[in-house]
Amino acid sequence: MTRRSWFEEIGARLQAGAPLSESEIAALSGTRDLVRLGALADERRRTLRGDRATFVRVAEVPAGGAGSAALPRHAGELRLTGRPASASLAVEAVRAAARAAGDVPVSGFALDELVDVCGRDAARFDDLVAALRAEGLACIVEARVERTTDPAWVVRAAAAGVPVACWTVGDPAASGGAALRRVAGWGSDVPVRVFAPLPRVVAGRPSTGYEDVRQVALARLLVDNSHSIQVDWRRYGPQLAQVALTFGADDVDGVSPNDAREHGPRRGPLEEITRNIRAAGLVPVERDGRFQTLCTHDQ
Amino acid sequence: MTGRRLDGAVRRALDGERLDAADALVLYTDLPTHRLGQLADAARAVRHPDGIVTYIIDRNVNYTNVCVARCNFCAFYREVGAADGYVLGFDEIFAKIDETIAVGGVQLLLQGGHNPDLPLAWYEDLFRAVKTRYPDFRLHALSPPEVIHLSRLSQLPSRTVIDRLVAAGLDSVPGGGAEILVDRVRKRLNCYGKATATEWIDVMRHAHEAGLRTTATMMYGTVERLDERIEHLLRLRELQDETGGFTAFITWSFQPSNTELGGVGATGVEYLRTLALARLVLDNFDNLQASWVTQGGKVGQLSLAYGANDMGSVMIEENVVRAAGAAYCMDEVEIVRNIEDAGFVPKRRDMQYRVLGDPIFRVRQVPRMTELATAREAGDTSVPAELDRYPARSLAGKRRQSVV
Repeated sequence: MTRRSWFEEIGARLQAGAPLSESEIAALSGTRDLVRLGALADERRRTLRGDRATFVRVAEVPAGGAGSAALPRHAGELRLTGRPASASLAVEAVRAAARAAGDVPVSGFALDELVDVCGRDAARFDDLVAALRAEGLACIVEARVERTTDPAWVVRAAAAGVPVACWTVGDPAASGGAALRRVAGWGSDVPVRVFAPLPRVVAGRPSTGYEDVRQVALARLLVDNSHSIQVDWRRYGPQLAQVALTFGADDVDGVSPNDAREHGPRRGPLEEITRNIRAAGLVPVERDGRFQTLCTHDQ
Repeated sequence: MTGRRLDGAVRRALDGERLDAADALVLYTDLPTHRLGQLADAARAVRHPDGIVTYIIDRNVNYTNVCVARCNFCAFYREVGAADGYVLGFDEIFAKIDETIAVGGVQLLLQGGHNPDLPLAWYEDLFRAVKTRYPDFRLHALSPPEVIHLSRLSQLPSRTVIDRLVAAGLDSVPGGGAEILVDRVRKRLNCYGKATATEWIDVMRHAHEAGLRTTATMMYGTVERLDERIEHLLRLRELQDETGGFTAFITWSFQPSNTELGGVGATGVEYLRTLALARLVLDNFDNLQASWVTQGGKVGQLSLAYGANDMGSVMIEENVVRAAGAAYCMDEVEIVRNIEDAGFVPKRRDMQYRVLGDPIFRVRQVPRMTELATAREAGDTSVPAELDRYPARSLAGKRRQSVV
């Protein structure tokens, strides 16, 4: 069997929804034929999501200072950053943020941080999530794959009305195939809408372009329990993030909400993201922090 | 109709047949990025079945930033008499060569502005001085517009200018200043005056006939249409058919920051598609370089999957792209890591693409380089003493010399 027909065979099986064997997954993960791997992921992505690529403009404010922050006019999400010192301070931060945000969805926190401030006590966690929801928290920003020992916390948060938005990988050492297998292994009973497979932190040597887009492509092919595969616009930059959209990613996080025009309107953040998505052969769709479509930027 | 046209173009590319302008256009506009990449990767593998990816250790030295050309896409040049205009002294250039040799470098890529106060004799003296001090060191110097500028300054034919520079020590000619080899575009970029498309081609023809090897370049993403990019590629291919003198092709996207033209830069996907198309159209070019200095290391590495077989230069110093806002750096260790991570075998080369050996840092200790050097320290406005040996042409230069 030729190398090409092997890829075609894998592609046909994936399109049919058939599971891959361990050896096939290992072969896909180790392939040097990056373009064919990308083509498989792109085909899968187009089958599942069509030609849409969503993005969200995010205003980030420290959890302690949301009340005084003026929300940028074009933000689709107000995101609280920083670890909450206590449950009550987390609730207070959401209250202040929700006042500032108006109709814009408020997100914040990492799941493990909320679990920690509750002393890993399920009842206290349920109470905290209910309180956060009552104050206006739309979703928990992330559950870090390497810190999620028990996915039941994800289910509890969703049951209390505040879903986790995204699986993330914080530690580069925890990325790669291990992260993909963990997320895929949790199955569809653990409801997290998005998987962002590229590490959020660069420690030691930076990853290469091959490593990054291979990870995105494998996430698209092997993780079928998250709706979207996400790349971060600020962390990975327009060049790499755009290429990732052709390797299976379909959602872009972290676009600036500031309508900066000091370099002219064509270099503003909205123009830049929509131009890059179109140049990747896709249709830019702006969403908010609840994953509701705000606008399709046809032209 | 388009489907049949596309199918035909894909078949011709797969069969290694020569593509025409219509083929190239339909491949770029209609073929998905991965499919275009697969075709280019296959074409690369045919030409380089050994899996070797090369790079060169050299230094981009810009001997002056003073320029009368005034291209509107350039963020590097300074007008004659500008306070931050500079000319490097011979000793400064020698020091840069010493640093280059220390990290295993074999040549300077020497280019600069069209400075009216630097006559042909200045270049000849510099080249002779370099060759006297460093007999084995190579000078990859003076792009076609610089040769034309010297031709006009000296009122000598460009063929004679090349012969004199070769006699002084010129080894090869870089392909800079090509931009897009279509005069409509050149007029809009205000670079028609420095060299028309035909003048650029003619200088390269003269260089090849003089026995020099040269590179060819394309800067895209300004005001050109897609068919004009393709016309550029076809003009290069035509000259290569005629002379066989080009060693490599390098394309990069316009970097708009701090330029008069402004606007936005082309995207990473557009870069990969343009590179892949070039691999297919330039069927008589052995080597295509990745432009990591404009695209960054990650997309630079991905270029190896879209037709490139060379990671370009370790560079050591860079001034022109940096002036337009891009400041990426990869030393030899990083370049080798990226090549190997992509599944290729890294080899050092010279300008002629002769393999020189394995990575130098595996042979001996060389210092790591975390950022590219610049021509000069900021604020250094010193004027080299030897400049007074050459009669100035500009008013500012004449005033300076009269004061001296």
